[in-house]
Amino acid sequence: MLERGLSRLGMVSNRSKSLFYGFLSLTSLMLIWFLSTSVFELIEPRVLPSPVAVVNQLIWIIEVPFSGLTLPGHILSSLERWGWGVFTAMVIGIPVGVLFAWTPWFKSLMNPVFELIHFIPPFAYIPLAVLWFGASTATQAMVVFVAAFPAFVINTQLGVSQVDKILVDAARVYGAGPFATLRRVVIPAAAPSIYTGLRIAISNGWMALVGAELVVGKVGLGFMISQGQENASVATIFVGVITIGWLGVMIDTIVQRSERYVLPWRKNVSLNSG
Amino acid sequence: MPHDNDTNKSIPGQPKLELRHITKRFGKEGAGVLAVDDCSLSVENGEFVCVVGPSGCGKSTLMTVGAGLEDATEGDVLIDGEPAGPPGPRRSVVFQKFALFPSETVEQNIKFGLQMTGVPKSEQESRLVSQLRIMGLEHFRKAYPSELSGGMQQRVAIARALVMQPEILLMDEPFGALDAQTRTILQEEVQRLHREQHYTVLFITHSVEEAVYLGDRVVVMTKRPGRIKKEISLPRDVVWKTGDIEEAAEHPDFITARREIWSLVREEIMAP
Repeated sequence: MLERGLSRLGMVSNRSKSLFYGFLSLTSLMLIWFLSTSVFELIEPRVLPSPVAVVNQLIWIIEVPFSGLTLPGHILSSLERWGWGVFTAMVIGIPVGVLFAWTPWFKSLMNPVFELIHFIPPFAYIPLAVLWFGASTATQAMVVFVAAFPAFVINTQLGVSQVDKILVDAARVYGAGPFATLRRVVIPAAAPSIYTGLRIAISNGWMALVGAELVVGKVGLGFMISQGQENASVATIFVGVITIGWLGVMIDTIVQRSERYVLPWRKNVSLNSG
Repeated sequence: MPHDNDTNKSIPGQPKLELRHITKRFGKEGAGVLAVDDCSLSVENGEFVCVVGPSGCGKSTLMTVGAGLEDATEGDVLIDGEPAGPPGPRRSVVFQKFALFPSETVEQNIKFGLQMTGVPKSEQESRLVSQLRIMGLEHFRKAYPSELSGGMQQRVAIARALVMQPEILLMDEPFGALDAQTRTILQEEVQRLHREQHYTVLFITHSVEEAVYLGDRVVVMTKRPGRIKKEISLPRDVVWKTGDIEEAAEHPDFITARREIWSLVREEIMAP
C-alpha cells in the first residue's frame, strides 16, 4: 500500500516536473527573444520583430482583415480544408486498410500502386490539383488527403492483421457475418492502431496543408504567411507560424485525450493483459 | 431456470453429434502436416464426452472441425444425422483463451450471440439476467473483460455459450489457462451444470483427472497424427461425481479409471 502510494506520488511529481520544465523552456525563450530585440536591440526588427510587435500584430489582425480575411477567418478556412482532407482520407483509408489485411489478392493487386503513391510527396500533387479543381478548397483538401491517406491505410491494415484469429472464430460461432464481425469485433480491436494512424494523418495533413497554401490559394494560414512576406511584414509571418504550431499541438492533444473516451475499454488494458 | 429440453429433438439411437472418419491435413497432401487421421467419435444426447491426449495430438483440431470453424480434409460432421454445416446457434464453443470481445462489456459479450441470431430484445434481457445469475456475474454486468480475473473471464465465456441454449457445447481446454484453485471451482460448476441441465458436451482436455471427474465417457487419442486409441465409459450418476473434485479423487472407482487412462496417455507420450 505504502509503496503504491509513494509511486503514485512519484508519478504526480514527475508530471508536474515536466510541466514546470516545459513552462521554463518557453518562458526562457520568450525572455531571450524579448531581451535581444526590445531591450538590447541586438537584432534589427526587419529580421526579427520584438514579441511586443508580434502580439500587437496578432491583436490587430484578429479584428482587421489582412489579405482579405481576419486571423480567425484564415484559421477557419485552413481548418475547413484540413478537415475535409483528413475526413475523406479516413473514410476511404480505413476500408482500404481492412481490405488490404483481409483480402490478399486485393493487396497484391493494389500494393504496387499504393507504394508508388506513398513515395510521391504531397506537394507534387499541387499542380494536378490546381488543374483539376482550380484555386478552390478542394485543391488544398486533395493535398491534405494525399498526405493523410497512407497513414490510415497502413495503420488500419496493421491493426486488423494483428486481431487475434480466435476472436473472429468466436464471432462466427455466435452467428456474426463478415460485416457484424468487422463492426463489433475487428474494428474495435484494431482501433488503437487506427488511432495511431489518425494522429499521424492529422499531423501529416496539417503540414501538407500549410505547404499547399503557401503555393496556391487566396485564404488560409499558409497564404497569410506568404502575404506577410509580400508585404514585408515579419510580424505577420511570426503570428502565422506560431498560430500554425499552436493549433497543431492543440488538435493533437484533443485527439490524444479523446482516445480514452472513444475507446473506454482501453483504460485497464495495462492492468490485466493475461 | 432448467435447460429447455424440447429444443433437443433427440432421435433414439442417433448420436447428437457425430464426427465420422475425420481426417484433417494442413498444407499439401504428402508435404503437409497430418493433424487428425480417420477419427470417428460420437456424443449422445445429454452425454459429456472428454477427449484426452498428449499435447499436439490434434484434439483441438478435432474440436475446431466439430465446431464447423474448419472443414475436414475428409469425413463428415453430423448433428442428429444431418450434415452440421457452418457454425451456428446449435453449437456453442468455449475457447481456452476465453476469446471474449475486449471492446464489449460482460453484458454485451453475453448478448452477442442472441443479437446475431435475432432473439427478441425482451427475451435477450431475461436470458441474460438468468445466465448472469447462474454464473455469479450479476455484479460484473458493465465490466470490460480486461477488468476481470481469468476465472471470471472464463465464466463470462461459459455464460456467452450457455445463453444460446445450444444443443451441443464444445469446450476446448477451457480451464487450461487458469490457476489451480480457480480451475477446481469451475470444474465443479461445470459438473453441476451438466448434472442439472443435461447438456451435450464435447470437452477437450489434457488433464486425465478433469476427464475422469467430468466425463461420462473418455476418449483417448494417440500422439500426432491423432487417432482414437481407446474409449472408456465411466459410471454415470454416481455419488462421488456429485461431490467436489477433492472427494471424488479419493474414490476407488475414480482412482482405477484415472490409472487406466493415464497409462494409456503415458504410452502415447513415451512412444518413440
